[in-house]
Amino acid sequence: MTEQKVNSSSTPKPYHSELSAFWWLKHRYYLLYMLREATVLPLLFFLGCLMYGLYSLSQSEQHWLGFVAFMQQGWVIALNLLAFVASLFHAKTFFELFPRVMPLAPAALMIAGQWLATLGVATVLFLMLGAG
Amino acid sequence: MEKTLSIVRYNPELDSQPHSQSYQVPVDNSTSVLDALLYIQEQLDPTLAFRWSCRMAICGSCSVMVNGIPKLGCKTFLRDYGDEVLLEPLAHFATEKDLVPDINVFLQHLQQVKPYLINPEQSEQPHKQSPQQLAKYRKFANCINCGLCYSACPQFGLNPEFLGPAALTLAQRYNLDSRDQGKAERMPELNGKNGVWGCTFVGFCSDVCPKHLDPAAAVNQGKVASATDFVISMFKP
Repeated sequence: MTEQKVNSSSTPKPYHSELSAFWWLKHRYYLLYMLREATVLPLLFFLGCLMYGLYSLSQSEQHWLGFVAFMQQGWVIALNLLAFVASLFHAKTFFELFPRVMPLAPAALMIAGQWLATLGVATVLFLMLGAG
Repeated sequence: MEKTLSIVRYNPELDSQPHSQSYQVPVDNSTSVLDALLYIQEQLDPTLAFRWSCRMAICGSCSVMVNGIPKLGCKTFLRDYGDEVLLEPLAHFATEKDLVPDINVFLQHLQQVKPYLINPEQSEQPHKQSPQQLAKYRKFANCINCGLCYSACPQFGLNPEFLGPAALTLAQRYNLDSRDQGKAERMPELNGKNGVWGCTFVGFCSDVCPKHLDPAAAVNQGKVASATDFVISMFKP
């Protein structure tokens, strides 16, 4: 019995450390990653606005004017601006990662191509809205 | 000039948890972290345990955390750090003793992806490979199994069953090799929940890789292969 005890206490036991829930605060790299993932949060707000707008449109003029008044509030504009900046940041990270996942052409060319395509689509949409 | 090395130590026979111990080490412009560790072991404290072998970034043994970032001790120079440097064993692995990690889980993951040429054709002739075919996998072929990418990967830290950057990169390396026919054997591991889809493209693995392999790119190219494999399997009887 004693012998067994000596044996068991002399058996090396590796030390296991737990990863804390705040692991992402440890490095700038992890923080940037979490920031990239968190860009979805202000976008959710933007989507909510979009849904509210579509719903109001389907109801009545009264509803629609209520929606427009809601959108004109300072904090709504601020949150939507945040969503815009967040989506630009997400686009930047996505456009840089894409050529690494699908290396179809030189990375710089693919990144420039994606920004040009974004700019093109945005311009067409703005022109269409302006024409409407 | 002297610098203070603060080393996280753990003796599995005496300690219940690690503690830190400081050493004063003489340094010049060419002193690497591994040089400093060897100095401590030879001159100050022979009980200090750490792994090392080649001293030239080939063997991948001397991996440690330097100020919280996974590094090869032989390729990291104290001239690039302040007066106090913190050395810890590799993160996300269990610690055997002092700076010696237990990398068995990593070795198991390597085995799971069958990182070797699988080719049932028994040919006496050498396999010819064009420069273009070589270029396809070469960028993923220089892994030295140092494990730094596992210490950089929070997904592996959260779920040790995740195959992890190096194993998935090697799988991709052999899948892209024109001499290999083992893709069908590897894909079930890559498609599984602990395969390529466990990766969320944090990308820190590529940053710390001492051989600049870009494991994050390899793993995410594996996602494209996995998705293609899934679509093809839908059309098979």
